[in-house]
Amino acid sequence: MSNAWMVVATREIVVRALNKGFLIGLAVTVAMIGGLIGFTSFMEGRTQSFEVAVVAGDESAVTALESAAADAASDDRQIELSMLPVDDASAAEAALDDETADAWLSSGAASGTDSWTLSGWREPDPDLTQLIGTTVRDQVLADRAADAGTSMNALTAGSEVETERLDGNPVDPQVVLVAGFVLAFLFFTGAVGSGAMIAGSVIEEKQSRLVEIIATAVPLRQLLAGKIIGSSVIALGQNLLLAGVGLIGVSFTDLSAILPAMTATMLWFVVFFTVGFVAMAALYAVAGSLASRTEDLQYTTSPLMMLLMGVYVVTFSADGTFERVLSYIPPASIVSMPVRVLNGDALWWEPLVSLLILVVATLGAVLLSERAYRGALMQTGGRVSWKTAMAAERGTTLGA
Amino acid sequence: MSDLEVRDLTRVFLSGGAPRRAVDGVSFTASSGLLTGFVGGNGAGKTTTMRMIMGVLAITSGEVRFDGAPVTRHDRREFGYMPEERGLYPKQPVLEQLVYLARLRGIAPSVARREVLEHLDRLGLADRAKEHVEKLSLGNQQRVQIVAAIMGQPKALVLDEPFSGLDPAAVDAMADLLREHTRRGVPVLFSSHQLDLVERLCERLVILGGGRVLANGTPDELRAQGVTRHRLVLSGDAGFVRGVPGVLAVDVDGPSALVEVHDDTAATRLLAAALERGAVREFSPVRPTLAQIYREVTA
Repeated sequence: MSNAWMVVATREIVVRALNKGFLIGLAVTVAMIGGLIGFTSFMEGRTQSFEVAVVAGDESAVTALESAAADAASDDRQIELSMLPVDDASAAEAALDDETADAWLSSGAASGTDSWTLSGWREPDPDLTQLIGTTVRDQVLADRAADAGTSMNALTAGSEVETERLDGNPVDPQVVLVAGFVLAFLFFTGAVGSGAMIAGSVIEEKQSRLVEIIATAVPLRQLLAGKIIGSSVIALGQNLLLAGVGLIGVSFTDLSAILPAMTATMLWFVVFFTVGFVAMAALYAVAGSLASRTEDLQYTTSPLMMLLMGVYVVTFSADGTFERVLSYIPPASIVSMPVRVLNGDALWWEPLVSLLILVVATLGAVLLSERAYRGALMQTGGRVSWKTAMAAERGTTLGA
Repeated sequence: MSDLEVRDLTRVFLSGGAPRRAVDGVSFTASSGLLTGFVGGNGAGKTTTMRMIMGVLAITSGEVRFDGAPVTRHDRREFGYMPEERGLYPKQPVLEQLVYLARLRGIAPSVARREVLEHLDRLGLADRAKEHVEKLSLGNQQRVQIVAAIMGQPKALVLDEPFSGLDPAAVDAMADLLREHTRRGVPVLFSSHQLDLVERLCERLVILGGGRVLANGTPDELRAQGVTRHRLVLSGDAGFVRGVPGVLAVDVDGPSALVEVHDDTAATRLLAAALERGAVREFSPVRPTLAQIYREVTA
């Protein structure tokens, strides 16, 4: 009798692991993560090449373009420049129109004005604009410096600003932002997806009265425990898989330098999520027991859905003091604390305290849910409210 | 003798304003080794009583006893139960979920598997063991459900409408199956709307109406409680019976009449009057059917 929960948990795991919808959803998520990482590293590793048209006789433009090409090659900017000499301005325009050239550079001298022009058929590529803009400015400055009897180096010496980071954290804030988004997304999809499955499995048993047969064989407490444990094992496995795929993927990109920091964050996230998920699973089981038909589920699960949506929306955009507060409040702490760990903002004891709060909250949620679940499960005919469920007398065999 | 005994069982529902006594002081015994039929109209309280016996519904007052002592959850764990509404896991194969349910009752997987296959074979479902329950016809789903109840040699069977939706052959197979369990000395309580079936199968009968026990006993005992009717067949017209004191003519059709006689002198008077008018071909008591008794007690 004591291992009835294991029988229940095993069934939950097996049924779920063989569920086509679940497997397809998981495969899609893995593919999305792989695709995202692949796309990122492709974009990073890609070399852009540009054809820049120059009108014959525009010597300044030729010089500027040659030094820009040299800069690009030495600077690891992943830009390749090549020059396309054209006869005149109209030929340059034609080259832009038929896309043989990506841009057309003309110096002030050539166009008879003071300013340089980089023309494109549409707005020229920003990377190209930046590269050429810098080169042209340096070239013009160098010419004027020479005219004034000095040199570029003399003028710019000591004018550079170097950045230095004292916390020693190598993680780019941009990465933290993305990680926050990804964790919030994983939390949301994981909790909602698994939650819906638990609620569905509860209502399946309630609607068919199968639960009456089960209740005479096993205490409902063990049935609930088996369901929660079974789904939590699945959720844990799912998150380990996704985290693993993500981390392996990241190791192939430029972000591999921050892999240790990311791994710690992921592990914290998995721990937080697993603990928090137990509470969500219990609450979703109640949502299932409050319904009397599958159709009722969308009503009974909507408060949980709102909660999870709230966590999703609030956590991935939070920062500063607000994020610090959130990192202690379950269930937002499931996302916010790991993000703060990645950020390097959390002291070593902070995740532990937050985890403790989460564990206490989870215990509370489970105890509350266990009572409501037992109260609602045998009540048929219409939706049951939380209040009725908590107040319900329980069948004599249902408690122990 | 492990009788299943219900004493003064009461259930009051509070939902929806005024308290409603769905079951009101119900007492009866489902004796070991006997098939006890539980009869009553919709809302009579049959299902509520059975749910209280199985402990899935809290008892307002009264008690359920098994084998001479208050029933425990360990007893109930070994009861076979078939709830009112049918349904198992629709998307799980028959064998797999029956083994699961057996394991929840503490039966070892290998034993459970063997027993389930045996039962399925007997009910003609051996070749459907790997199919999903939702693919079976309603009658076959019903059979799977009964297997769920009778697995593991239960100590008592509590079955809510086990015969509904079964064809006559399946009814007989089901009845044989239940008798096998009564032969083991197990009490079997089942509810039904089909009075003819109950009359044919049951050794004992409990008629419920408005949450109370209206009649309780063997079919013969119940018949004896009712007023016996007599059939009188004459050579001539039987219309005169309407005028005989102490005799109620239920139906007169030419030479034959169905009458109720309230005492022996009235019977003698009726027979004498009949003989004055000619030959008496038949004068015999008519045993009331259960349906009549049911109508009388529930009227």
